Amino acid sequence: MAAAAALLAFGVLTALLSLQLPLGTLRAPDSGFFPLALGLMLTALAAGHLGQLRRAARAAPADAEPPGASGAAGDRAAMLRVVQFMGAVVAATALLQPLGYAPVAFLSMGALLEILGMRPRWLSALIALATAGMCQVVFVHWLRIPLPAGWLWS
Amino acid sequence: MNPLGSLEHLATGFAIATTFQNLFYCTMGAVIGTLVGVLPGLGPIAGIALLIPVTFGLDSTSAIIMLAGIYYGAMYGGSTTSILINVPGETASVMTCRDGYQMARKGRAGPALAIAALGSFVAGTLGIFGLVFLAPPLADVALAFGPPEFFSLMVFGFVVLSNVTGGSLVKALMMAMVGLILGTIGLDPVTGNHRFTFGTVSLLGGIEFVAVAIGLFGIAEVLSNVEQPADAQTVRVPPLRQLYPSLDDLRRSFGAILRGAGIGFGVGLVPGPAPVIATYASYMVERQIAKRPEEFGEGAIQGVAGPESANNAACQSAFIPLFVLGIPFAPPTAILLGALLIHGVNPGPTLLVEHPNLFWGVIASMYIGNFVLLLLNLPFVPLFANILRIPKRVLLPLVMVCCLTGMYSVNNFMLDIWAMLAFGALGYVMRKWAYEGTALLLALVLGPKLEVAFRQSLMISHGDFGIFVDRPVSLAFLLATGVFLSLPLLRLGKAARERRRVHA
Repeated sequence: MAAAAALLAFGVLTALLSLQLPLGTLRAPDSGFFPLALGLMLTALAAGHLGQLRRAARAAPADAEPPGASGAAGDRAAMLRVVQFMGAVVAATALLQPLGYAPVAFLSMGALLEILGMRPRWLSALIALATAGMCQVVFVHWLRIPLPAGWLWS
Repeated sequence: MNPLGSLEHLATGFAIATTFQNLFYCTMGAVIGTLVGVLPGLGPIAGIALLIPVTFGLDSTSAIIMLAGIYYGAMYGGSTTSILINVPGETASVMTCRDGYQMARKGRAGPALAIAALGSFVAGTLGIFGLVFLAPPLADVALAFGPPEFFSLMVFGFVVLSNVTGGSLVKALMMAMVGLILGTIGLDPVTGNHRFTFGTVSLLGGIEFVAVAIGLFGIAEVLSNVEQPADAQTVRVPPLRQLYPSLDDLRRSFGAILRGAGIGFGVGLVPGPAPVIATYASYMVERQIAKRPEEFGEGAIQGVAGPESANNAACQSAFIPLFVLGIPFAPPTAILLGALLIHGVNPGPTLLVEHPNLFWGVIASMYIGNFVLLLLNLPFVPLFANILRIPKRVLLPLVMVCCLTGMYSVNNFMLDIWAMLAFGALGYVMRKWAYEGTALLLALVLGPKLEVAFRQSLMISHGDFGIFVDRPVSLAFLLATGVFLSLPLLRLGKAARERRRVHA
């Protein structure tokens, strides 16, 4: 239901923002015409879907098990792993310009292997080092991609 | 264009495809595609999306040769895991599991793998023949299309693809709307006005397609796998000498391969996940006409030959609507459309005139790619199967680091990486809530074309919406769209009547 509500809000927002653009006429539609039509259609679809979900929720028996209730501990551990994994990637992206590509590739690879439970740790470090080295050779030296060198070191 | 003319152009295509550079990228595409097909959880869509940034330094023909190779290479590779460990490398290999794995359990993995490779080669080659002779006349027909016909065709494509990719039609349509809205960001394609850029210069060119593609398919795929980072598979790979099928295997597979090729080619021309539908249809046909249908599910070689041939033929014919109409009817070709646009190639009826070298070069490369794949998939099966021994906990971080690097290499913008991560998170959540990413991506790519066709149609007709139903071809597409939209409603009505009958 949250997804349908978010889509409804997105549709309404699009329609409102489109109204600030020139709409033109049916003979000569302008910049706002098409997004306005799309915003309204999305709003209508999302509202209909939301209504359908609400009716289904009311019709469901009160003692019905909520989805995902079984195996909740396993789900939580899996979700935590996804959040940690994504957090490490976001941190790596934030550190890319200050630290530079090679150190970030090494650190992020090491962190991601740790989050996924790779053992032994010396092997993780070795894989991270090899990945950073390979990426540096392939992307920077071979493909000549100007990856960030890190302003902390300059 | 007459058939002889097609053959002349094909000869030119071979001259282009056999340059050292194009041979190299064709082989690379085939090898990478096979790897993508072998690795469960990494399908051709994610594979192509991840590799698009690597093609930026290449000319458009080499780039599309490589990306197309990944698509049809994945179809070959998918059979390996299906047969050896009962895990389909990609969705089109699901049917191969049924009899392929049973054959492997009986010690006949070798013939199963060999027939899968041979069937894929024969069907792929026949599919390319169809592409050569069908695409040019279809392009001549499509040249007569005006904006209303293209608008109706695109609407038809959206609705059908939304309807058959599985799940809720309403959800898929909402995703298509979101994609179309995101496609309006940037410069208005007709007037050049700024739309939804909020003063940000980097948004003037619109949302970066590669960021959306890698995010929705690459990152979301990785995150879904992070939930269950399973250990490496234990794989028993047959030695090379056991790969040869017997004469009886070949005799029983011959008809199945030809029928699979025909079914696959036909299904590939229809919007939807053609390889998946084609494999299912081929399997059902083989079981229906088999002298001993009870063997199906127990290791019948026709159950491997038919579906494997069908998915490769479908994969080849899916290029016809992409190249000729500029409308992708299958999810991987939607990504290929994005790649074509990035390389400055606008596919459609004029592609054969404007970019004949690309069109015929790519087709010729498919012949070569099929041959390369046959060579790869017979003697090197043990090598590819060993890839399965790499644990996911090593593979997933590697893919993620490659995503970050690849995305940065597109424009050297940090903003692109952040956009990719945002779409990755969105794609992951969408999968959790069963929302269809393909519809969003297809709409994002086709959105500007759809808008231009819509606005031009209204300008031509002086604001009269009747233009969409006055023209017979446009009307036919809209009627077909109506039929597809009403199918779920009819199913709902039937289910409601059934419930009422049970309660009564």
